[in-house]
Amino acid sequence: MKSIYKYILVGVFASSFSGCKPDLEVEPNLILQGELVWNDPTLAIGVLANYYDRLPIHTQLTVDANATTGLLGWPGAARYDEAIWSGSSDNTRNNIISYPFTDWQLWDYTLIRDINLALEDLSKSTQLTAVQKAQYTAELRFIRAYVYFEHVKRMGGVPIITSTLQYDFSGDPSPLRRPRNKESEVYDFIGSEVDAIKNELGNTGSNTRANKYTALALKSRAMLYAGSIAKYNAPYIGTLSLPNGEVGIPAEMAQGYYQKSLEASKEIINSGVYSLYKANTGNLGENFFEALTIKANNPEVIWAQDYLQAKGRVHNFAYNNIARSIREDNLASSSLAPTLNLVEDFEYLNGTSGELKGVGTGSNTAVGQQNWIFYTNLQDIFANKDARLYGTIMYPGTSFKARPLNIQAGVYVWNATTNKYDRFEGDLNSVYTDGKMLTGGGGPQRSAIDVTNTGFYVKKYMDTKTNTSSRGLGTDMWWVRFRLGEIYLNASEAAFELGLQSEALMYVNMIRERAGFGPNSLTTLTLERLQNERRVEMAFEDHRLWDLKRWRIAHILWNGVTGSPDATMYALYPYRIVRPGHPDDGKYVFDKIVAPRFQSPRFFQLGNYYSAIDQSIINNNPLIVRNPLH
Amino acid sequence: MAVIWCFSSVQLHAQQRTITGKVISENNEGLPGVTVLVKGTTNGTSTDPDGGFSLNVPDGSGALVVSFIGYVTQEVPINNRSSINISLAPDAKALEEVVVVGYGTQKRGTVTGAVSAIQGEELIRTPAPTTSGALVGKVPGVTTRQADSRPGGGANLQIRNMGDPLYVIDGIPSDASQFNNLGANDIENISVLKDASAAIYGLRAANGVVLVTTKKGKMGEKTSINLSGYYGMQNFTRFPQPANAYQYMRALAESDQNKGLPASLTPEILSKWQQGTEPGYRSTDYFDYIMRPNVPQYYLNANASGGSDKTNYFVSVNHLNQEALIKDYNFSRTNIQANLDAGIAKGLTVGTQISGRLEQRHQVGVPGVDDYPNVFLTVFSMWPTERPYANDNPAYVNQTHNVNVNPATYTEEITGWTDEWIRTFRGNFYAQYDLPFGLTAKGTYSYGFQNIAFENMEYTYKAYRYDQATDQYLTDPGWGNQNPWRRKSRRGIEDKFLQFQLNYDKQLGDHYVAAVAAFERQDNFNEFIQYNTFPTNNEIWLTRFVEQTNLVDQETQTARAGYISRINYNYKQKYLLELLGRYDGSYLYAPAKRWGFFPGVSVGWKILEEPFLKDRAGYLLNDLKLRASYGETGSEIGVNGLAPVAFGYYGGYDYAPTGLGASTVFNGALTTGLRPRGIPITNFSWVTNISSNVGLDLTMLDNKLTGSFDYFQRKRTGLPAPRYDVLLPSEVGTPLPNENLNSDANRGVEGALAYRSKAGNVSYSVGVNATVARIRLLEQYKPRFGNSWDEYRNGQLDRWSGVNNTNDPTNANLNSFGYQVVGQFQSQEEIDNYTIDNDGQGNRTQLPGDLIFKDVNGDKIINAMDERPINYALTANPYVSFGITTSASWKNFNLAIDFAGATMQSFQRAFELQIPFQNNGSSPAYMFENRWHHADPFNSDSPWIPGKYPAIRKDQSTHVNYRKSDFWVVNVSYIRMRNLELGYTIPQQILDRFGVSRLRVYANASNLFSIDNVKDLEIDPEISSSSGLVYPQQRLFNFGFNLSF
Repeated sequence: MKSIYKYILVGVFASSFSGCKPDLEVEPNLILQGELVWNDPTLAIGVLANYYDRLPIHTQLTVDANATTGLLGWPGAARYDEAIWSGSSDNTRNNIISYPFTDWQLWDYTLIRDINLALEDLSKSTQLTAVQKAQYTAELRFIRAYVYFEHVKRMGGVPIITSTLQYDFSGDPSPLRRPRNKESEVYDFIGSEVDAIKNELGNTGSNTRANKYTALALKSRAMLYAGSIAKYNAPYIGTLSLPNGEVGIPAEMAQGYYQKSLEASKEIINSGVYSLYKANTGNLGENFFEALTIKANNPEVIWAQDYLQAKGRVHNFAYNNIARSIREDNLASSSLAPTLNLVEDFEYLNGTSGELKGVGTGSNTAVGQQNWIFYTNLQDIFANKDARLYGTIMYPGTSFKARPLNIQAGVYVWNATTNKYDRFEGDLNSVYTDGKMLTGGGGPQRSAIDVTNTGFYVKKYMDTKTNTSSRGLGTDMWWVRFRLGEIYLNASEAAFELGLQSEALMYVNMIRERAGFGPNSLTTLTLERLQNERRVEMAFEDHRLWDLKRWRIAHILWNGVTGSPDATMYALYPYRIVRPGHPDDGKYVFDKIVAPRFQSPRFFQLGNYYSAIDQSIINNNPLIVRNPLH
Repeated sequence: MAVIWCFSSVQLHAQQRTITGKVISENNEGLPGVTVLVKGTTNGTSTDPDGGFSLNVPDGSGALVVSFIGYVTQEVPINNRSSINISLAPDAKALEEVVVVGYGTQKRGTVTGAVSAIQGEELIRTPAPTTSGALVGKVPGVTTRQADSRPGGGANLQIRNMGDPLYVIDGIPSDASQFNNLGANDIENISVLKDASAAIYGLRAANGVVLVTTKKGKMGEKTSINLSGYYGMQNFTRFPQPANAYQYMRALAESDQNKGLPASLTPEILSKWQQGTEPGYRSTDYFDYIMRPNVPQYYLNANASGGSDKTNYFVSVNHLNQEALIKDYNFSRTNIQANLDAGIAKGLTVGTQISGRLEQRHQVGVPGVDDYPNVFLTVFSMWPTERPYANDNPAYVNQTHNVNVNPATYTEEITGWTDEWIRTFRGNFYAQYDLPFGLTAKGTYSYGFQNIAFENMEYTYKAYRYDQATDQYLTDPGWGNQNPWRRKSRRGIEDKFLQFQLNYDKQLGDHYVAAVAAFERQDNFNEFIQYNTFPTNNEIWLTRFVEQTNLVDQETQTARAGYISRINYNYKQKYLLELLGRYDGSYLYAPAKRWGFFPGVSVGWKILEEPFLKDRAGYLLNDLKLRASYGETGSEIGVNGLAPVAFGYYGGYDYAPTGLGASTVFNGALTTGLRPRGIPITNFSWVTNISSNVGLDLTMLDNKLTGSFDYFQRKRTGLPAPRYDVLLPSEVGTPLPNENLNSDANRGVEGALAYRSKAGNVSYSVGVNATVARIRLLEQYKPRFGNSWDEYRNGQLDRWSGVNNTNDPTNANLNSFGYQVVGQFQSQEEIDNYTIDNDGQGNRTQLPGDLIFKDVNGDKIINAMDERPINYALTANPYVSFGITTSASWKNFNLAIDFAGATMQSFQRAFELQIPFQNNGSSPAYMFENRWHHADPFNSDSPWIPGKYPAIRKDQSTHVNYRKSDFWVVNVSYIRMRNLELGYTIPQQILDRFGVSRLRVYANASNLFSIDNVKDLEIDPEISSSSGLVYPQQRLFNFGFNLSF
């Protein structure tokens, strides 16, 4: 008996000490090897899916989880002149002393390497068909061209790398150093890549994967940028330029780029594949809202980043930006508050300036009240405006999801002693002593968070479906990267710059007609008109900053001067008149004030036109030259 | 002769007397079996089970010699007494004390490593819900910081500030959660291995090892049944108190004034708030509203132990219940433990330790996955001018400015519930065979399973406003909460552990040899599944597929193995030597880099045994031992320098990677993304820890004073870093892989002193221990800097940890730089004439009372170049810790008082503790009181009144006042009375009547007071949350008993 135990023990010990090393290999459960991936179309498209999702944007509908200064997501829209920040108490976006030179910087060669790697792996595939290989190759090259465009518009010329750089671990990586290409060379690369691949892309009819017209839309936009930089940077040659052309495009190249842009735009327009969204002709404002938000059979959208609630792919843009009074979650709302500046840039339909009429100064004095017009309804002050205002911004007196926004800052009560109105403001949803609304559930409020600070809310990209502004469900609103509306404006601008007035007028008037201006509303054209047209048509679509940069007017508008009308962001506060027995009782007046949470005028310096290249990038590759003024 | 005899006989006849008495221990318990002898004779007796004795002595002179194993022998003069009670002191020499070390035990006298041990009785003296909480201040070298003391939360425990230690419970590697949730009465002892002595545990032991042994019965011991328990009341030590409505409204008025805005309220209204009597003008204190005073916690334990000649057993059940100060929040835990051994054949023993645990956390389902932060947020986010209920009617939740933090919703009926259950089971099974020639073979298999179930449901609810005019409660679809939330998750963790061990032990004359050889393997499997739904109502908690909104499904596996050997040798117990080595393998590294060998050596010299010293110092010293150790361990640090992440050596593509590109919608259908993984890292392997320690153990003054002192260093080599003298262009798109390049060191000293003595009837002891430990980066792979500022600001080489932000890649909170405040502007005139640009905007934003920063570089503008190191690593454990333990006993009473303290620990204020009206809420009262302000908030010409804090301006959180500066950072020092206990043991003669062998009752108080420098912030000195919104430690009063049969 005893000896049995002994033997068992001895046996066990002998086996444990004498045996070979134990196997400690653990199987990875989410890793697939390259050969497998590139021989299976489903997996290969999965790689494309990853790259499409990683494309750099600036003020898209999501917040980049790895947010760097270059890729902010929608909160970045509160840093310029379309909106200010009305969300959480972090007020940095309203108090930008000056834009740091590091803003918008991008050097994502990890993504470029991944694309080049995929191109190389794909070429080795044995199981995919020639058609599949050609299409995926074209798609990868389109993605790469797009990534280079995102780089060049921020950094100027960057090294064009089209194959993976392999380090041999020899200790000397200097053979891998590449200098920056010229700014123009990067734009040329984008143009030639589009030309080379546009017919290989396939994906006909898709507005989420790139097809021929997606590529042309990239070319339309990129060439327009190149042309305007060539033209409008001319006065700054010597200041905003580098000797070898890494920054700065010779003025004489402008025409060529405008020409290429116009050709690309026309190829899209004339193809007949796309048309402006006009499904809701009875309500032009609603129609414009739908043009970006209706996903099914939308004829205008060329390329979008889509989401799908049924599969849990959602984002929180609606949760963070829904109007306070109609939110469906008890935490956030109202983060982006559109500025009065933007609202006033929407013209009246008779073609006059969009400046609102009869607004007070908010100084709480008789003088400050003398210009008041007493409006019967809150929304009357916005009557006869460009229909795109309604489609872009939620303003006082309107509803969303069939619920009134209740935007009212307070009341003005007649004071017979002082012969002026006294202002009263309360908490949200407060009731004045006359039993009627004091301050509405939608604000505005001067210092509260998660309620508009300007009197307006964002409507563009807002989801109309129930509970989409809750964290629990989220919204699957898509982000439109290219749409025909932009292509018309690109064509109009390129034609204008090429001196083709009538062609330019034709394209811009088609856009304006949809906004309610009637046919041929413009008969002459200036660049300023086109600039304003782009501002109102494409507000919150990540164009404003880049447009101002390429026209070289950002430092003029955002000059950092206190009180400067374009650098200061304004709010519109609506009040109900309390003056029992008087005809004005119950009417509404409006005060235009500097948005209370706004603290520093926008200040864009010449050095902001090109983002700073990080010191570590220069350390790693001494051939990289610094951008001017840094 | 006859005369003599006769004389003696007469003497005997005349003087013979009987002495009765009792021998008691230091705990006032009767000691049975004690030898009582008349000095110089063989006349004697031994004590009865109660410690009593009766002895005939020839006369009233002479002395009794009282001796007992483990106690100091005493001589007691008889002095003609007939009744003598003797109290024996334990033999403090304790050289025969057995200390649990890795893979065995050693006599205290022959230990050569830095090992501290603490007995179970000392632990349960602090009635902390967690083991780490009970350990605070009691062990030298152990540092703690209890940043969050929510029910069931433990203290962050580190050994010599090296990082998270390895916990080994009954020989089985475990984790902090298992350690913290042991049944308090099941612990026999805890050993802390701090230097190379930990290296025997190799894998993950680089930060030291905490060894726990649970209780066992003794063979041949009669059954003993013990019941113990306590009931206590909890209150916060400190929590910042919110401003009242008047302070809040006055601050608003001041803010308008300071910002140059028209007043948004009138003096009349402010005065109404000041009176606070009129309806609508009453102040609400939301701290008082939420936090209940004197909430209960209780603990009960029952155990039985004993044994026959071949078996022994210990079975125990513990139950702990702790309510939170917040209603409906609670924590409870039930532990069972059964330890059995049986000798089933000669030399062969089999045994098992079986433990099980059920932890339950129940909370109200307030928004956020963690239900605590929102509740604390409420204290300052709610305005004191708002009421929780509309018209104070409890049927109607008030739609306050932020209903999300309205505490009226914090009930299960309104906002829902959260339940978490942790169920664990572990069984250790072993067989041991003792061979007659000193060899023992042992095989152990352990299986542990843990199931963590999480259920959270947050309801939708309505909120109301009261309309006075119509006497109606108004509501609106946008009010209250319309976002329901349901989350369900399950985690299953399986731990398997296998070990074979050979021990050899032999004394050959003056030579002693012991050897251990072992092999062990550990496998862990962890699976997790979680999903959310969007419920359509508050009633149904079972989930349905149609409501599902997401899914998380994860699986991780680990595998480790090691070969262990150790040899101990000593000569005459005077020269001590220990050699150890481990050969370890981990799944983390590429197959070719998987295994590493880590040797160690330690020596000891009992110097007092040398005649040259013994002759000279023997009268003073009882024992003196010098120790030195040097050992290596492998440490599993991941390639990225952070927590270990497997598969770094794999290339290929990640399926559904986290972050961007997990999936994309193509043509209306979701497509799963695949992302290239980058270059495989195959050359990375173990980080080597080299632990060196020199120490001294001494006993002196008749064994009354014992002490030990250690100087230590732990150097880590092979920390991951890229080879950055090779500058790979960023355009390559992939960084150079990390290699084992850098090294750092953690250095420090620690010491403990204990004095134990007796004065009259009072026995007492005092123990002091202290630790200083801090990391310094010693070697860095070819650091490069752009310029000298870059080196100063970002350099880490040869600097203490926490000075610059990447010193310790595992802690992002390490950045000591900030501004130095040299004063506050005293007047507008001073601001106007100030030549340094203090705010970067020409001082246009400055007001009297604003902070003046030191222009360190003298360039007349304050910017990042003026930042200097101002603090120690934030949120880190203190670099200096100390503890004082004292006890005294008199008759049946005993008193114990423990203190714990620390310094060189930093706290940074932000958010609610820094910004007035943070997040459009309110602020602590002291910030609205002790501030710069105009004498009259409605008259800007009234004079400025100085205060501590800058003038109040709402919504200016980005103002330069709120930059990180030494005004907002406190380098905290504290000493707190951790524990005070007064106990009384019921006299034996009373208990005997009831068949009870022992009954002790006690009252106990924890955290009665603290002396520190954060009192004016109203925070507990150990918290690290910069907003102060965290569950602080509790001040506890407990009443308890220990009862044995």
